Amino acid sequence: MAETAAVAAAEMTVEMVKASQLGMKALGAGIAVGLTGIGTGLAEMAIGSAAVGATAENKDVFGLVLLLTVIPETIVIFGLVVGLLLLF
Amino acid sequence: MAEVRAGPVPYIYVCTRMRVRKSKLLPREEYMRMLNMGLAEITRFVGESQYKKEVDELATSFGGIDLIEIALSWNLAKEYQNIQKITPGTLKDLTRAYLRRWDIQNVLTILRGKLHGEKKGRIKEVLIPAGELDRVFLDRLLEEPTPERVIEGLKGKSVYPLLSRAMEGGVKEDLLPRVENDLYKQFYADLITYATSGVKGGRQFLEYITLDIDITNIRTMFRFRAESPGEDISGVIIPGGTIPPPAINRLFQIKDRNEFIDSLVPYIRIRPLRELLETLREERSLREIEIDLIKVQLEEMETMAKLNPFSIHPILAYLEMKKYEIFNLRALARGKESGLTPERIRGYLVV
Repeated sequence: MAETAAVAAAEMTVEMVKASQLGMKALGAGIAVGLTGIGTGLAEMAIGSAAVGATAENKDVFGLVLLLTVIPETIVIFGLVVGLLLLF
Repeated sequence: MAEVRAGPVPYIYVCTRMRVRKSKLLPREEYMRMLNMGLAEITRFVGESQYKKEVDELATSFGGIDLIEIALSWNLAKEYQNIQKITPGTLKDLTRAYLRRWDIQNVLTILRGKLHGEKKGRIKEVLIPAGELDRVFLDRLLEEPTPERVIEGLKGKSVYPLLSRAMEGGVKEDLLPRVENDLYKQFYADLITYATSGVKGGRQFLEYITLDIDITNIRTMFRFRAESPGEDISGVIIPGGTIPPPAINRLFQIKDRNEFIDSLVPYIRIRPLRELLETLREERSLREIEIDLIKVQLEEMETMAKLNPFSIHPILAYLEMKKYEIFNLRALARGKESGLTPERIRGYLVV
């Protein structure tokens, strides 16, 4: 088993290693954006439903609750920044 | 099923709406201002507030104190029905179970009205169709010529078995207080059974029921001590609270007020209620005690609503506070009409 791995490593070219690194970066960027997107969604679910409830009772608070609802967007922006840093 | 798919979202939505509605209730300062107003000014004030729609609708048929009274009752019933519509899943069932107390009140009001030969319209004015029995059903009951027929008309409803059993020999005025007690006992027993049946949110609902029963029993004890100390209290005590009924019977026998409070306090788990009981060692009027007990109940419900923000508690807290807003406005209007002094009316307000 160890013998097979050693043979495979010995056979890898520089191009192959670079391509593998690029792939890993892309995977990391994808995970960063995807997971933070899910986190944002979960946070906005609760805030959004409360915001709709508050607006249903008092239309004047629409601007304020819209602002509060999008605050968790920062989480996915952090993910995006990490993703971009990884890729470029 | 819908609520399972939607997760906590409907709960958050409804509880937020209740919080916003609660913030729109009249603050203490408004009541203080209204104490110095005349009846016409109070009517105008009510007509310009959240009761505008009802006042406008009824202004052509009623005037003065009747207009305020009926507009307030209509608003309360409409509000309660609206809340039942917007609450999701099990919260709706819990809210409906809580609102069934209005059925008891409405049925007894109709029976009393019929016994005293009141006109249909007059009885209808004081009904609050917030429970299982809606406006159409209550109208049908009002059409019945005799109290016995009213009871027959309730066949299939939760209050029917007890009423029909108690009134077998005909509806009599002196039977009504006992029947009323039994109906409320059955109501609370049903609530406890439902809350402990494993329903989602049942534990929080049970906390409220226990609080309500405790406050009611303590109020009954003080009322009986003040008005009829020698009477048997066991018939009016509601089982299910933190104070067991045998203990209440024993406590009620204690003549000395200090000793009574000393024996009562260890049964109470809620700190504000314990503190209130400590202040009741000195002689105070029954009305003051009752109002203070209601205030403690509302404060405690508010605390529960903060501890469980997305449960039945915010809804119940709002429903109770709304009830007492109506109660206060009615007391203000009635007090002004009777020519009571602001200080005297102030004593009747839950603020």
